[in-house]
Amino acid sequence: MSLMFDENGRPFIIIQEQEQKQRLRGIDALKANIAAARAVARTLRTSLGPKGMDKMLQSPDGDVTVTNDGATILKEMELKHEIAKLMVELSKAQDDEIGDGTTGVVVLAGALLEKAEMLLDKGIHPSRISEGFERAVDIAMPVLDSISEQIDFEQNDHEQLRRVAMTTLNSKIVHRIREELGKVCVDAILAVADMERREVNLDLIKLDGKVGGKLEDTALVHGIVVDKDFSHPQMPKRVDDAKICILTCPFEPPKPKTKHKLEIDSVEAYKEMQVAEKAYFTDMVQRVKASGATLVICQWGFDDEANYLLLKNELPAIRWVGGVEIELIAIATGGRIIPRFEDVSEQKLGYAKTVREMSFGTTRDRMIVLEECASMKAVTIFVRGGNKMVVEEAKRSIHDALCIVRNLVTDNRIVYGGGAAEVACSLAISEAADQIEGLEQYGVRAFADALDSIPMALAENSGMQPIESLSHAKAKQMREKNPRIGINCMKYSTDDMKEQYVYESLRSKKQQLQHAAQVVKMILKIDDVIEDKNYN
Amino acid sequence: MSHFLAPQIVLLKNGTDTSQGKGQLISNMNACQAVGEILRTTLGPHGMDKLIHEGRQVTISNDGATILKLLNIVHPAAKTLVDISRSQDDEVGDGTTSVTILACEFMRNSKEFVEEGMHPRVIIKGYRAAADLALARIKELAVDITGNSESERRGMLIKCASTALNSKLISHHKGFFSEMVTDAVLSLDDDLDLAMVGVKKASGGAVNDSLLVEGVAFKKTFSYAGFEQQPKKFLNPKILLLNVELELKAEKENAEVRVKSTKEYQDIVDAEWKIIYDKLDKIVQTGAKIVLSRLAIGDLATQYFADRDIFCAGRVPQEDMNRVSRAVGGAVQSSVVNIPADALGACGLFEEKSFGNERFNLFKECSHAKTASIIIRGGSEQFMEETERSLHDSIMIVRRAIKYPSAVAGGGAIEMELSRYLRDQAKQIQGKQQLVMNAFAKSLEVIPRVLCDNAGFDSTDVLYKLRARHAEGDAGRWFGVDITTGGVCDTWEKFVWEPALVRLNAIAAATEATCLILSIDETITNPKYEAAAPGAPGMPGGMMGM
Repeated sequence: MSLMFDENGRPFIIIQEQEQKQRLRGIDALKANIAAARAVARTLRTSLGPKGMDKMLQSPDGDVTVTNDGATILKEMELKHEIAKLMVELSKAQDDEIGDGTTGVVVLAGALLEKAEMLLDKGIHPSRISEGFERAVDIAMPVLDSISEQIDFEQNDHEQLRRVAMTTLNSKIVHRIREELGKVCVDAILAVADMERREVNLDLIKLDGKVGGKLEDTALVHGIVVDKDFSHPQMPKRVDDAKICILTCPFEPPKPKTKHKLEIDSVEAYKEMQVAEKAYFTDMVQRVKASGATLVICQWGFDDEANYLLLKNELPAIRWVGGVEIELIAIATGGRIIPRFEDVSEQKLGYAKTVREMSFGTTRDRMIVLEECASMKAVTIFVRGGNKMVVEEAKRSIHDALCIVRNLVTDNRIVYGGGAAEVACSLAISEAADQIEGLEQYGVRAFADALDSIPMALAENSGMQPIESLSHAKAKQMREKNPRIGINCMKYSTDDMKEQYVYESLRSKKQQLQHAAQVVKMILKIDDVIEDKNYN
Repeated sequence: MSHFLAPQIVLLKNGTDTSQGKGQLISNMNACQAVGEILRTTLGPHGMDKLIHEGRQVTISNDGATILKLLNIVHPAAKTLVDISRSQDDEVGDGTTSVTILACEFMRNSKEFVEEGMHPRVIIKGYRAAADLALARIKELAVDITGNSESERRGMLIKCASTALNSKLISHHKGFFSEMVTDAVLSLDDDLDLAMVGVKKASGGAVNDSLLVEGVAFKKTFSYAGFEQQPKKFLNPKILLLNVELELKAEKENAEVRVKSTKEYQDIVDAEWKIIYDKLDKIVQTGAKIVLSRLAIGDLATQYFADRDIFCAGRVPQEDMNRVSRAVGGAVQSSVVNIPADALGACGLFEEKSFGNERFNLFKECSHAKTASIIIRGGSEQFMEETERSLHDSIMIVRRAIKYPSAVAGGGAIEMELSRYLRDQAKQIQGKQQLVMNAFAKSLEVIPRVLCDNAGFDSTDVLYKLRARHAEGDAGRWFGVDITTGGVCDTWEKFVWEPALVRLNAIAAATEATCLILSIDETITNPKYEAAAPGAPGMPGGMMGM
């Protein structure tokens, strides 16, 4: 911070460690902040749309991620600049609430800032600009409502839901098999959806992946996949009509939590202890056996002694199953989690039609699948793929698609993608802009221009002439009064997005506009940055 | 200065910095001035925000008190400003920026008197007299907003709330939030305890997805396996609040048991299990359907409750616990033995609901104290934090307006009116006091001036129009800055209302601070303080970041 001097020529020390702080204010602060945010948006711009490219990100410890999911890219980039971080949070918020459109929202925010910068140069007060943006959002909301359409999935026809999932998957690396994956996602959501309350708990869908096989092998398991194997190689690899005992205590003599000490002073005592220990093991196994269980799933491990006894008593067992999985298994199989052997009883057992061990290719990796559990609520999507990066990216893509299908279950209105909705809003906003009094008019119009940058980016990424394609789409929308005309990225015979089946959920689109305007307002409102010089 | 000429007489410890006299007085004022400059741009609907780094922590704010707190001001005189903004925050909750700006302006205008050799005491006396007149005038002008009916009263409160939100990030949604805030405060009991309004944040969603829950809401706590098997919705449940750890653990730390034989071994294990099971059993027997604890509820207990269709949450933050306890009427128990039936709370509806990817526990239709929770949704963490601060201001304003239901017009109108009034009064005063009172009147004009400056209007032009309007007499008394067009307008008609208390407190506090600074003529700074000063060469970098 600049120093101030009093009458005697001594510097004021007003703020602690004043010399260490630097201050950027006024238009310089605004410009610097806008530049930082736009840099982030620029990075993501090429990832937008079905022909968008991926980014390869290497983490400090050498892990490589290949993705075109906006939220993931920004997260992995580990930005330091505060304003850039706002953009990261923007995409994260979209991810949290909607799960899709994380790239679009950042690109839009970047475009808005670009326009705002031009207006700032004209000398318009930043808060008037952002006020104009918010006015534009208010105009856009009813427009989006009016061009939205309801899709129907109450009957057995889930075709449309699948289309939406496919639109999301279009831009991802897995788009080759989007039909299959779309089906998997829709089936998964419908399996766990609570249609009455119109709620979907995504926690009930587990996404698991393993390297190997082809992407086509990705499958939906109506049950749970546990990345474990049976504790003893000689145990049967398949249990039918399994009654499952879910334990959270280890197969070993119980230990008091209080610090204790057992003093053994004679050979007899030692032997006695050995006998007692053995008795514990047999007793435990007997209790489980007596309850009628045919499979044991344990949160902890057990040593060879117990393992052997279980094998001898024909009780297949799985050990070291994590807490989250234990819970999921309990919910799916309708079993209760049993904290100690004394509490084992028949009512507490869970049920699954089949429990089997899967092995993959020539590797020795094995996994256990619990299928057709008593209450069918939990499902697993099991992703296969050629390498780790593909599997990880496929998981992220499927997650996006799941989110979007879930959103449609809660709110079944859609708008058309491919930039069609943006073009429609842009047209409506620029029309309304002319009637707005005052300086806000510029902000509103700039918002319409910024919306154009989404279809432009789509066209650009698809190798088309951006301005030409956009003006074509705009003119056609105007001429035919058809808000479904978008950018024909895939070069199909029609550019009507309804016929191309490019759907996006209304909520996602609305939220994109609102969030982008919000963050831009926040950035435009800052005119003073005080920071530590040593910080960076 | 004088020690350059005369031989030094060492009175104080070597290195002690003493400065005195007029120079010191002016230097103090300049320091305050510098702080005021920082805040100046945040005032009003077109005020801007500050982004402040503090180590890793970053805050984006428009709230005067928050900014001053984060600036870490060390200058002894300038600290007064921090104190008055804080006291304004505690007392009224809003107007923290205007109080600082007012104080600075008072000082600026008194500076020339000091330079001309007027005794500070004379200025102090004049300021005090002017402040008294101003305060009396505010009370006279203030309009009663009690309203005739409940709905009228609500409408008036909403207007006050929305004025407080004008300058904030969420100003575009002020209609939405001012209603929410007013309803939240009105749903409380008569004592209007601030602690009974909980403000929670859930990332994602648009700002206007934020919602008001009439009851208590808090985030889902960390849960163990088995939690998902618990029911998540109850009608008329009984609620037990605990301060007990429900986990299988050693009952006494550092205790050691000597086990003689294996038989005893089993006994000890059983005894431990019995302790925890006894506890759990006692809880179940109370008939409570919801168990909350300040301390951890372990996996064993979670599953035990799940088996008996009881909902539990462990590690509930103290603040939320207090709110629940007051709302549902339960007392927090620190033991599970002999829980009296009346220690259980009750509410009409409990449910777990998810907002974005956060899950919240909601207690509605609570039997005892009324509470309200506001759940803020928004695009980013910073955004929600600033929203929370803004809502806090607004909530405070509504509370104040309920207790002291009188309002004045904002947008600089009241300041202009006071300024005119004081100028008129000054004419009847003889002597130096007249000058001082005129200076006070002039200082009040700083508020409309800054409002204009921040919005990019020509402040001199607007001020001249305002003065003309106010000179017309009563019809022009509520004329203030029209922030949309850059002209003047009747801000009372435009519903820019502020509780009179905000202004009363601001003028009183600003005058106090000015008088305090004016009465200081010597500062003695201990050398230790000075050592921490920056600029000293060779300061090791490691000592920074305190």
